[in-house]
Amino acid sequence: MQLTRRRRSVTRGPLAVAVVALAAAPAWADGELSMRGVYYKERATRVIQPMLDGLFEVGDHGTADAHVLVDAITSASVAAGNDGTYFTERRVEGGGGYVREVDLYKVGASVRYSSEPDYTSMFFGVRGAVELFDRNLAVTASANLGKDSMSNAGAPPMVPRLEDDLSTVLGSIGLAQLLGRDMVASLTYDVSRLEGQQANLYRSVIAAGMQVAERHPDRRTRHAVAATFKWFVPSTMTTLIAGYRRYHDSWDLDAHTPEVRVIQDVGDGTAFSVRYRYHRQDKATFYQPRYDSSTLEFLSDDIKLSAFDSHTMAAALELSGDVLGFTGRLGEMRGQIVIEYIDQNNRFGNALVAHAALTVPFAY
Amino acid sequence: MSRLRVAALATLLVTIAGCAVVRPHERQNVARRSMTEDRQPGQSRFIQHQTGSREGADGGTGEPGGGCGCN
Repeated sequence: MQLTRRRRSVTRGPLAVAVVALAAAPAWADGELSMRGVYYKERATRVIQPMLDGLFEVGDHGTADAHVLVDAITSASVAAGNDGTYFTERRVEGGGGYVREVDLYKVGASVRYSSEPDYTSMFFGVRGAVELFDRNLAVTASANLGKDSMSNAGAPPMVPRLEDDLSTVLGSIGLAQLLGRDMVASLTYDVSRLEGQQANLYRSVIAAGMQVAERHPDRRTRHAVAATFKWFVPSTMTTLIAGYRRYHDSWDLDAHTPEVRVIQDVGDGTAFSVRYRYHRQDKATFYQPRYDSSTLEFLSDDIKLSAFDSHTMAAALELSGDVLGFTGRLGEMRGQIVIEYIDQNNRFGNALVAHAALTVPFAY
Repeated sequence: MSRLRVAALATLLVTIAGCAVVRPHERQNVARRSMTEDRQPGQSRFIQHQTGSREGADGGTGEPGGGCGCN
């Protein structure tokens, strides 16, 4: 697979370097299918997520992708109105996209739909890319529109029914630059504008001894800048990746997120990688651990809006079918196992994440 | 956050584009999977979903986050 990719990249230039935006070109032959299962566990929440991803060549210049997944979320959150008892909710998501490559340009569109009993979400996006300076620089841009609808349908019967919606507009621009035979740097800037209900319709806040419904501002503008540097060391077959994201929004929530990854190629399609990510954020202006007044304009019990930091440590192993003794098309299958541990100093508590995935190439 | 710094970084990248010219036959290493999409689509999507439902910050990927009742 990688040999095929290398040949294409050498002859067509560094289109694959446009890491910041467009769906990747098919990694092998005419398409591939990936099956992945994820298990996530923290103090009061467990998520099991099976998913299926497909990538297909369409004609000589097109690539289509599609995915479907199910989230089975078991939580003890009182937010569901079950008063602390465990409940399970399922979310189903499907999406797809198409990218067409014409000479130095790529254009594409994508759609995503997600549904759960009390929340539906639809996103539509368009994107484009162009390669400049003898294909050493890739410039990408995208725009996405989202519409979410929510209710408190899971609340007990005596609670009044609430329904609301949320609109999202996201714009993004990215640059990816070759810095040498073994180095790539990229920069992405995202700005999004959210308008509508951004509080949880189930959640309440204890304010001045009373239980009051959460109230968030209905507008939020979010800015994020992410820079990534990748360096391949041929002598040891090691890839070093360093990234940093700075985030700020109109609720005055500010965050710094550096990350490093090391990928060691050990030959025969086998690679081992480790990752460390640090996240630190300040609180949103209106967030308080406790409120002395219930008449404040905004009240929140959303832990995501509090000040905290977290450390993520992960290790992954990827094997090809060759290593396991398969031959031919089966020998080009890829298996992957990922284990992550997240140390979060907030009420969510620490979390453990495990992935297992199998990618199968096919021709049609 | 300083928009000036973002603009300066972008300008820097565009400026150095003229300096570092890597010819097509020199691109074997930068075309490796570990240097392009080192994460699989499902892996990236789960990471973005998980951090988006557990952190107040989001973005920097060029892709929309959210889309669930995780808030």
